[in-house]
Amino acid sequence: MITPQIHTSDLEHKDECIAFERVSFSYQGGDNILKNLSFSLKQGSLNFVTGPSGAGKTSLLKLMYLHMRPKSGQINVFGQNTGMLDLLQIPPLKRRMGVVLQDFSLVDHLNVFENIVLPLRVTATPRADYVQDAISLLQWVGLGDHMAAMPETLSGGQAQRAAIARAIISKPDILIADEPTGNVDHNIGQRLIRLFVELNRLGTTVIIATHDTKLIPADATILRLNNGTLLQERMQS
Amino acid sequence: MNQNSLPLAKPQPILPIDKPKDSPLFVVLAILAFLATLTLLSLSASYRSSAHWSAGLTDTATIQIKPTSLTDEQEQPIKARDILLTFKSVKHVDILSKDHSQKLLRPWLGDTPLPDALALPILLHVTLHADQKLNVRELATRYEQLGIRADIDDHSHWRKNLESRARAIQILSILAFLSISIAIIAACVFATHAGITTQKTLMNVLHQIGTPPQYTARLFSTRFALNAFLAGCFGALAAFVLLFIFSMFFKISGTNIFFLPEFTFGLKNLYLSALVPLFMALISGLATWQIVMKSLLSEMYP
Repeated sequence: MITPQIHTSDLEHKDECIAFERVSFSYQGGDNILKNLSFSLKQGSLNFVTGPSGAGKTSLLKLMYLHMRPKSGQINVFGQNTGMLDLLQIPPLKRRMGVVLQDFSLVDHLNVFENIVLPLRVTATPRADYVQDAISLLQWVGLGDHMAAMPETLSGGQAQRAAIARAIISKPDILIADEPTGNVDHNIGQRLIRLFVELNRLGTTVIIATHDTKLIPADATILRLNNGTLLQERMQS
Repeated sequence: MNQNSLPLAKPQPILPIDKPKDSPLFVVLAILAFLATLTLLSLSASYRSSAHWSAGLTDTATIQIKPTSLTDEQEQPIKARDILLTFKSVKHVDILSKDHSQKLLRPWLGDTPLPDALALPILLHVTLHADQKLNVRELATRYEQLGIRADIDDHSHWRKNLESRARAIQILSILAFLSISIAIIAACVFATHAGITTQKTLMNVLHQIGTPPQYTARLFSTRFALNAFLAGCFGALAAFVLLFIFSMFFKISGTNIFFLPEFTFGLKNLYLSALVPLFMALISGLATWQIVMKSLLSEMYP
């Protein structure tokens, strides 16, 4: 049995990778989308954020991957209070997270291979150090035959797998995916979820936002959002 | 493409390579570079010509002896020259011949032969030592004492007139160059904004994968600096060629337009022309760096 990782005070806990303490968020001038959330996620955990459309799932993920600041409260990532960070300290933290967005965000003018090795190129990793790993990764996600393909020629499922490959190429500590199954059919959705579960077994903390609760595996932690509130955190048996 | 050879192939550039020559902004930058080069070379030529003219007038003076009789005509120029040579500032005095005086009168009198009895003004061309002035008042007093009627012109009036006109041309050239420089900066800033808008997805992806902002800024600024440099080279080269044709035309025809700067074809002009694309690359690179950094930092953790 897995205990949900909900904390309100012990934010310095060593095996926590993300911790929210009384976090509220609203877009400029609007009502609070997220209200006074407090929870933490353990390293190596498999987490699903669920809830109806407009519940604040994407906003919660954006706060996690440091795309936005909270209106109030504190967010700790890898034990660092992100509100206290200098702007130039943000990119190194972001490099420890892989992010898969709903729209895949593949770069149009780069082929699949160049798209997935982008995180390594921007850190000036020598090409010889990652070529073999990248080929293996592409084969692992089922894109071994599409390395030279341009993003526009990929199907939704293939583009999603390319986005996942790019998110994990640099072996991040956390993988965050926003509705990764939203643009694919149920079968491909299940395959993608299996891919995430496999990554989680390799030690990566996985956080997936989805409205499709049927895809959530049995041993995952669920953060259920409704109207900006974390209503329920439970594990499934 | 062979899948196995793909990873060994040259990496694709992260920022797409478009054809700069097809871009309207490239054409605009090239035209601005052309105008900037023309202005810069004109400015340089006006400085050079002004200095040349001023030097020619500063170191010389002209004295017109006005004899009343034929005897005076022969004696007074010699006396006038001897007095001049007693001045420390005077280096050399040439008494221009009677024929020369007649030639100077030809525009007014035509080719009609002048009577021998007519006493003509005699011109003395005075060369001064460098950076020395002729004491006109003292010279006039001494001529008066000896009964020599003379007009003394140390060219100061003409020189002042010339210098003020040259200064006006230089100020206009500087203003034109500054205006073009501002237009270049504005065009570079506009091009950067347009480029960033076009590559918004790429910038977002780079930001999302944790790319250091300096890396992204360098990526864009290098590309934009290179494009501006290429446009600058096109424009500067066109201006240089045009001036070369002008200089050849003046050289072959032996003509020049009075008071317009004299264009010459030389290495100095080549160096000046090369400054324009370098200046444009620098401005474009710096503007791009600033804009990209500002944009990234404002979006980094809003």
